[in-house]
This record gives sequence, C-alpha cells and structure tokens, in this order.
Amino acid sequence: MNKPKSKKVLLVGWDAADWKIINPLMDAGHMPALESLVNGGAIGNLATLDPPMSPMLWTSIATGMHADKHGIVNFTEPAPNSGGIRPVMGTSRKTKAIWNILQQNGKRCHVVGWWPSHPAEPINGIMVSNFYQRAHAPITMPWPLPLGTVHPPEKMAIFDLLRIHPAELTEAHILPFVPNAAEVDQEKDKHLESLAKIIADCSTVHAAATWILENESWDFMAVYYDAIDHFGHGYMNYHPPRMKGIHKKPFHLYNNVVTAGYRFHDMMLGRLLQLAGEDTTVILVSDHGFHSDHLRPKGIPKEPAGPAHQHRPYGIFAMKGPGVVKDERIYGACLLDITPTILSLYGLPVGGDMDGKPLVQAFEQPPEIETIPSWEAVEGDCGRYPENVKSDPYAEQEAMAQLVALGYVDAPDEKDQKSLERTMNESQFFLSRVYMNKSNYAEALPILEKLHQENPDQVRYAFQLARCYQNLGNVYKAKEAVKSILEHENNEYPQLTLLRGSLALADNLYHQALEYFEQAEKSSPKLPSLHQQLGLTYLKMNKIDEAERAYLKALEIDPESTIAHNGISHVYYRQKRFEDAAMSALNAVSLTYHYPMAHYNLARALIKLKDFERAAQALEVVLSIQPGQKRVHRMLVRLYRILNDRDKMIVHQKWLKEFRKDKENG
Amino acid sequence: MITIVTGLPRSGTSLMMQMLEAAGIPILTDSVRTADESNPKGYYEYEKVKGLQKDQAWIKEADNKAVKVIVQLLPFLPARPDYRFILMNRPIAEVIQSQNKMLERLGRSGASISLEGIFAQQLSRAKQWLSGQSEVFEIDFHALLKEPQEQASKIASFLELPESTMAMAQVIDPTLWRERTGS
Repeated sequence: MNKPKSKKVLLVGWDAADWKIINPLMDAGHMPALESLVNGGAIGNLATLDPPMSPMLWTSIATGMHADKHGIVNFTEPAPNSGGIRPVMGTSRKTKAIWNILQQNGKRCHVVGWWPSHPAEPINGIMVSNFYQRAHAPITMPWPLPLGTVHPPEKMAIFDLLRIHPAELTEAHILPFVPNAAEVDQEKDKHLESLAKIIADCSTVHAAATWILENESWDFMAVYYDAIDHFGHGYMNYHPPRMKGIHKKPFHLYNNVVTAGYRFHDMMLGRLLQLAGEDTTVILVSDHGFHSDHLRPKGIPKEPAGPAHQHRPYGIFAMKGPGVVKDERIYGACLLDITPTILSLYGLPVGGDMDGKPLVQAFEQPPEIETIPSWEAVEGDCGRYPENVKSDPYAEQEAMAQLVALGYVDAPDEKDQKSLERTMNESQFFLSRVYMNKSNYAEALPILEKLHQENPDQVRYAFQLARCYQNLGNVYKAKEAVKSILEHENNEYPQLTLLRGSLALADNLYHQALEYFEQAEKSSPKLPSLHQQLGLTYLKMNKIDEAERAYLKALEIDPESTIAHNGISHVYYRQKRFEDAAMSALNAVSLTYHYPMAHYNLARALIKLKDFERAAQALEVVLSIQPGQKRVHRMLVRLYRILNDRDKMIVHQKWLKEFRKDKENG
Repeated sequence: MITIVTGLPRSGTSLMMQMLEAAGIPILTDSVRTADESNPKGYYEYEKVKGLQKDQAWIKEADNKAVKVIVQLLPFLPARPDYRFILMNRPIAEVIQSQNKMLERLGRSGASISLEGIFAQQLSRAKQWLSGQSEVFEIDFHALLKEPQEQASKIASFLELPESTMAMAQVIDPTLWRERTGS
C-alpha cells in the first residue's frame, strides 16, 4: 500500500457550479475562499455523464462507477409498499461509497446531505440524510425530523435544532439576492418564497456540516449543497445578459440571484476551510455545469427531467492540500475520477471495477496506483445498510406486481399506477442512456426497443432508439425510428432535422445531408452539434476548407465542444498540419478523457510528428476505453517495434493472434 | 385476540386456516375467491386485507378470529397488543413454482425476473418485524405434511387448545402436496 498523502479529506459538492460564472466573480474579488483554493491547488473542468441527472451523478462521484453498476438510475423509484413512487433512496445503491471503503480502512467518516442518502447509513461517524433540510410544514406546525434522517439516532436532537425554516428568514437575508425585493408583488409572484426555501435548505446543510467539523473528530467528510442548481433552474433565465423573451421587470428584480448565490457559497466555503485546517485536502466538485450565456436553452421540453437541458457538460474540480500541485490546471477529469483520487490520497488501492481513475496530474509526486479487483469483495464493517434494509425497488416492484396478478394485494389506484409506469419507463430510459454514454449500444438497444414498442408516442424514446441504431450502423432501422417520430410529431423540430441529416450522412447521401443541415441552421443557427455535423459532412466530401470553417464556427459557438475540437483535429490532419492536429485532439481529450476517437486522432498526429512514445500512450488509452480495436493493436505492434519494446509488442501480437483464432472458430 | 396466519403467498397459509377452523377458531373470510385447482378446499381470504396499506379500519372485524395476511403486508397492521402470529415456512423455490402454476391457471403473466432473492429478503424482513411481536409460532410446511399429528399438537399448544390436536391433524391431506420442486 502507498503511503497516505493526506490525513484528512473534505469533499464539498456544489450542484451545478460552473467556472463560467465563478471566473468573473473571482476576478472581481467576490469569491476569495474559492480563489484561495484555486491559487493554492489544482483546478480543472469535471466532465459529467449522460444522462446528467443529479442523484445518478452524485452517486457516481461517491462510488467511481457508472449508474448501471451503482443502481441509482432516476430521481424517483417504485415504492412497492405503497404502490406508487417515492424519492430515490440511499438503500437502492448497490455498491459501496467512498465513505464505506474508508471506514473499512479505519477512517472516521461523516456525510451531510448527499444525494441520495436517506435513510442515513450506519457509518462510524455521523450521517445526515438528504431528507434533513426540507421544511415540510409551516413554521407554526411541528417539524419533526423524518425517521432515519440522522445516524446515530442519539444525535437527532442536536441536528433537529440546527435546522433553519424558510419563514425564519428576513429581508436582511433576501436583499443581498434580490436588492429590489420591495417591488415584488408577493401575491402574484412566488419567486421570493422559493428563494427563501433554497437559502434556508442550504443554510441548514451548512449548519450541520460546521457543527460536525467543530465538535467531532474526523478523517473524511463529504457535504453536498444543492442550492446553486436550484438558483440556476429558478433564476438563470434572469441572469445577465437579458435573454430574448424575458421581460424587463423580472430581469430587473432577479438578475442578481445567481451571482449572490455563488457569493453566499463562497462565504460558506470560507468557514469550511477555516474549520478543516491547512492539513486537510479539500476537494470541491460539481456534477455538471449550467448554461449561463448564449447557450441557455430557449425553452424547457415538456418531459420528465426536462430542466436537465439547462445543464452544461462540464462541472468544476478544485483540490488543495498537502502533496497537491499548486496553481495548476489539470485536464481530462471526469466525475468518475473523484473516488479513485480520494483512495489514492489515502494510499488505498482503486477498485478494478471502478470506471474512473485517480487524477495523478494533481499530485506533486504522482502516486503508484494499486488496484484490487473490487472493494465489494472486501469483507468488514463498512457502515452500509443491513441486508434487510437494502432494497432493489425495481425487483420489489416486480414482486409486488406478481402479487397483484395473483390477487393477494390490491392494484395501485390509477394515479399511482400512472406515476409508477412513468417512473419505471424513465428509469429504463436513463439506464439506456448510461449504456449509450459508455458506447455500450448493444445493451442499450433492447431497452430502447421495448420502450418504443410500449410507448410509440414518446418521441424521446424513438429519437434515442434512432441514435442507438445509428451507432450500431443500422441506418435502415434508424430511419424507421425517425419515421415513427414524424408520425407523432406535428412539426419537425431542429434536433430531428439534424438527426435526419446525420442518417443521410451515414448513408453517404452528402447532398441530402447538407440540405437537412441547412434547414436546421435556418431555424436554429446555434444548434449544438449542427456545425460539427456540417464539418463531418464536408470532410467526407473532401471539402476540407469548408469543414475547417464549419468546425471553427462550432468552436466559436461553444469553445468547449469536445466533438468540434476532435473534428478540427481531423481537418488539420488532412491538411498535414500535424502539430495543430495534435493540439486540437489534446484539447478534446483534455475536456473529455473518455473519448477514444480523440485519443486515436492524437495518436496518429503524434506518429506523423514522430513522437512514437506518446502516440503509443494515446493508443493504449483508446484500448483501455474501447478494448478490442484490431487496428489499434496493429498500430501498437508497429510502434513498439520502432520503440524497441519487445515485451509490449508481443502483448499486442498475442491479442491479434486471439482475434484471428476467434475469427477462424467463427 | 387476533390470530394472524402469515407467510409468502402459496406457503400453506390456506391449509393453516383450515386447521384453525377445525380447531374451532372463527375465520374472518368473505369467500370472494372461491376454491379452485390451486386451492381445492378454498382460500380462506378476506378481501379487505389486500388493501391493508391504505385501510386498516377493518381490523376490528378480526377480533377473536383468524385472518390471513401475507408477509409483505404485515408492517401495515395497526399496532395492537393482542396479535398472535403463525408463520408458514416453505422453500422459496416451491413457493415460486406454485405461484407460477397459479398464474398459468389464471391466464396472467408474472415477473420478468427471478423473485427468489427478493422473496427471501421480504421473508427475512418479515421475521425481523415479527421478532418485535410477543406471540409468534413458526411452522414448516413440509413438516406439517410429514408429521401432521406432531405438528398439530405443537400448534394446539400455541393456541392453548390442546383438545383440538386431532381435529387439526385430520385436515391435512398429503395429496395436496402438489407443487414441489422435483416432483
């Protein structure tokens, strides 16, 4: 085992926090606490996962695994005992979280407000669940803590008193957010009421976290704040510059809320840093970003979790502490990497079944990474729920449905039944997107086919099914799915036109593809991925200069478009501008590490630049993400021959031999 | 006193209800579900039990009677000091096999996944819940069919009705042991 780098780690989660908002605030001196973290540590973008649904993402942060492994696949889940649905529970998590692993290794852990974490797990420290902060009743009524909110139960009385009710807030608390609050007609406009709830909830979480830091010994603490996401969903449309369609009055009233929200969080961070001390490694993350500029969507689709369209693919990462680099930027970080990084900070091995990797670039002395097959196989008291408490709500729902079919239990009433069906469908839909995000289209396909068959009117399912077929190379079936969308949609919408264009492109019908893209451009010139598709079309038509223009346009709209960086890398390669090609591919993987095509493009540019060692490294990354690529193995055999690395050359020759054997055996 | 006969569905609860009836304990049933191939001697069910999650007011009707409540619904029973429980244990694989046959007879479809694990967990939770109750008697379905006299005697002792042993034992018909793994 490696020597631990840290005695203590504090993991702070700010849902939806985004560098695009933070950077100008720091530059203006409005976020001094975060600035101290940034100047004294490592920072970077933190790539999110699809679908960008917070309970799934925060569980991926805490486990280092995709949702198909950890089991949290939705905001809600079946509540088999009541026949309806309930908020997703911590008991539905199938794998250990970082605090379970650390407890097994003798660390005292506390967790506040993680999503999801109700009921509180029986860890060796204090756990306060995400049901803690909600005010369920008016201040004049009793406000008991729900059972299971705090572990150990004997601490319930303390945390009960730490809560803040929205009705306790005064104008002194509201005015920093809404300076013109006196102008709000509160009979008609409920924004102040919802703002008070967000501030009170957030303050409650903070009160619990600071109490623990002040009164309890600890080695690891995780605290989650969801307020920035709420500020975003409620008020980002009023954030400057004023969006088209937003009236002057609400803009005038609420344009400061988001900024004030971030400044408030910085004050809270300042207190956490003070209590944590200099010897603690502090990690600040968000699960996704939030569009705050011209990329803010004009409307929210009327679909479950529609507001997620406001999320941006990059959240924030900042880490400071003993042994961490100072004032440096790291690249290619993903939220799957947080748990492996924390394990490395403690000198503990990473689970081979984890999907992330330690962010070694953040360490002054990169640690030697040890792995074990899985922390799930390691016995010992880890503070997880007892077996009887753990729950697979989907299996329970199947069991309950069977009991209804057998006539032993009443069927849920119609309203509950509808909610249940919606939740079950959405959970499956989100799971299919997890598989697609992992490029595991074969697993996604049967789920999407079933969803589409049972819900032909849900165009989202058909759209995703079309994309899945497209990725599997089945253009015919993809077009069939598109036909089905057109049967249910009155008007063709830009994303659909874009899809039709990409299907035409897949069929090598370039002119038809261009027609579709031009049509989409007319109605939505800044449509994400439109110019990337145009670039790809021009590349296939060998119109390299037009392709370059299209990709540069895509980057002008969104400088952090991974696909556009990768696309222009391809253009530069074709133009024999190999250094630019390598740089662009590097930009792509710096944003999204799990992007095998970009690593491949980087490798081939590096080969042209005769940087064979780095080219080989890039190709090894391709295989680690997408194993079984024969072409890549062949390239590595050639590279290792050049580099005189006989051992590695043999490894890849063996792989190629296996492929040939498999082919011969049919 | 309310006697609750519980277990996973198809674990022998109907048989136990017949035995209690033979012992002279009034049964709370409405005979909505009538005897069929799955239960030739009847189900001994009370329809309102199915809605126990939402409505518990009917429990007063069970005073001094026996009523069947499957294990999944036990936690919804209103708190009372005068319950006694008889829990039927049967191998889960047999329970599932029996449920599947019943579904086939009803022309309905069941779960698309194996329910063995989830039923085991639900039974374990039920036992944990029962451990907080004062009067609980567990009986093995196979033992009941194999040694009716001996098992009936134990039940009679639990019920404080020693004179009912013979009547209860006579209810057991081994030919009812239909859905058994491997047979």
